[in-house]
Amino acid sequence: MIWGLKRVIKYVLGTDIAGRNLAVYPDDTFIVSYPRSGNTWTRFLVANLAYPDQPVTFANIERLIPDCEAMSSRFVKQVPRPRIIKSHEYFDPRYKKVIYIVRDPRDVALSYYDFARKYRHIKDDYPLPRFVSDFVCGRLSSADWGTWAENVGSWVHTRNGRPGFLLLRYEDMLNNTEREVAKVADFLGIQTSLERLAGAVQRSSADRMRSFEKTQGDQWVATKNKRSDIPFVRTATSGLWKEKLPASSIAEIESAWGHLMSGLRYELTTGSADTVPATAAPPELVKERS
Amino acid sequence: MIAHLIAGLKRAFGMYRPRRDLRIWPDDVFLVSFPKSGNTWTRFLIGNLVYPNERVDFANIHHLIPDPYGTSKRDFDRMSRPRIIKSHECFEPRYPRAMYIVRDPRDVVVSQYHYHRKCKKIEDGYPMEKFVARFLAGETCPHGSWGESVTTWLTSRYNDPRFLLLRYEDMVADPRRELARVATFLNIPTDVERISQAVDRSAADRMRKLEKLQSDKNSLTKDSRKDLSFVRAAKSGGWRDELSNDLAGQIEAKWGHIMTFLNYPLATRETGSVEPELAGFMPTGSKR
Repeated sequence: MIWGLKRVIKYVLGTDIAGRNLAVYPDDTFIVSYPRSGNTWTRFLVANLAYPDQPVTFANIERLIPDCEAMSSRFVKQVPRPRIIKSHEYFDPRYKKVIYIVRDPRDVALSYYDFARKYRHIKDDYPLPRFVSDFVCGRLSSADWGTWAENVGSWVHTRNGRPGFLLLRYEDMLNNTEREVAKVADFLGIQTSLERLAGAVQRSSADRMRSFEKTQGDQWVATKNKRSDIPFVRTATSGLWKEKLPASSIAEIESAWGHLMSGLRYELTTGSADTVPATAAPPELVKERS
Repeated sequence: MIAHLIAGLKRAFGMYRPRRDLRIWPDDVFLVSFPKSGNTWTRFLIGNLVYPNERVDFANIHHLIPDPYGTSKRDFDRMSRPRIIKSHECFEPRYPRAMYIVRDPRDVVVSQYHYHRKCKKIEDGYPMEKFVARFLAGETCPHGSWGESVTTWLTSRYNDPRFLLLRYEDMVADPRRELARVATFLNIPTDVERISQAVDRSAADRMRKLEKLQSDKNSLTKDSRKDLSFVRAAKSGGWRDELSNDLAGQIEAKWGHIMTFLNYPLATRETGSVEPELAGFMPTGSKR
């Protein structure tokens, strides 16, 4: 009852977390991804591109591109329109304009492991293979956002190739940041020059973000009161799983989601996609395309 | 501000409809579909199956198989578990188990057209072309488009033990067999008599009679036109009389690949041609 009362008061005051109940406006744009897939970097890139006059930091990012799962309904409501909003939600039909970032789930698992330690969800000695099983089976604290495949699949199977949807691969963003940011500028209808693009990329570099994190970590909702010995901005690389992830864990991820991974051009180590049971998508639906 | 305060008070007393805020228990089972796909009929079937001692009608259905958009939070809290809950949402990873009813989108659009007339959202002569265009764009209801609803569920849960796919057309053709599948999914004994009784009690004729008597007691029909019935034809294939070839073709052009997968024969094109929904998602170079 007390808990219920607290919720009611929060609702009336507008201090409840917006989340899935966010009031969506037709001119909203969303930056969506599964957690640990480059969303924060993309937020910096987009904010530095869209608001070139103010340097983006962890202290002002929520005012520029609010996180609808960390900020209150009232806060998100007060952001001037048209808003750009960060989200980790699985498919939401109300989101009409979406930039979706996808990352190799084998790298996501590793990044998530460090993140879970930073957030004190798990202890340092929590076995990595067990964490990967939790990740694959949807037992993480973020289970409400679906598993990696549920989150990614729910968006790409419905919206990819349609207007109002821009799919970015984190790996492509690392390889050629300017090119991918140019796609974003185009998608957002921002008139831009090569200089401005390069400036946004430079102001969002991993080094710069790391130094901001060091000085402003306690001012940002996502890092406040979390372990400061594990950084939020991690390696900012791809393919680390090849060294760090046990073969059994790689096999577990690939056998669960190999089908969707191949569709997203993530090469499988455990044989071709044809031999992988397609649990991520109904096989007949897909077979049709031959 | 005052409206907001009233909403807050309603919250305090559990009188609001929880919608997406619904608290979900691990033993909940959801009955999901895109709107106008036989959800209410299935609610009656399951209600009559699970509660053979109650006569399911439009006055008590919101308590037996509640609707997060129609039943109050308080009534949800008072329900005994395990609960069976109605829903029109696109894929929800929070739903522990789900039965999904799918219906030929060409029939769905016709049914939705008449439902919108009943609810006074459109006038009697509203052009079907306009309605189909809005239907394809997912603008005729707040739960996304037909293709989005079906695709999100199928791509995430098809062939999964937590999921039961029901085709409305199969239910019309053989309701006893399909209800037996539901009973198995719900771990309810599948004895023939109980299933037959549930099917008889949920017959379209009976539902129409109940609707006439009780239309003011259910949020689905309250305040809508009384000259049009909520329980409509209760058959499949009716689109042939109401949709032009061109309109059927537009639906098939957009969702033909899903329809083919679901065994809805296409009338205007060969199967397996353009599939925008999954375009670009196949591995390049691999043979299938």
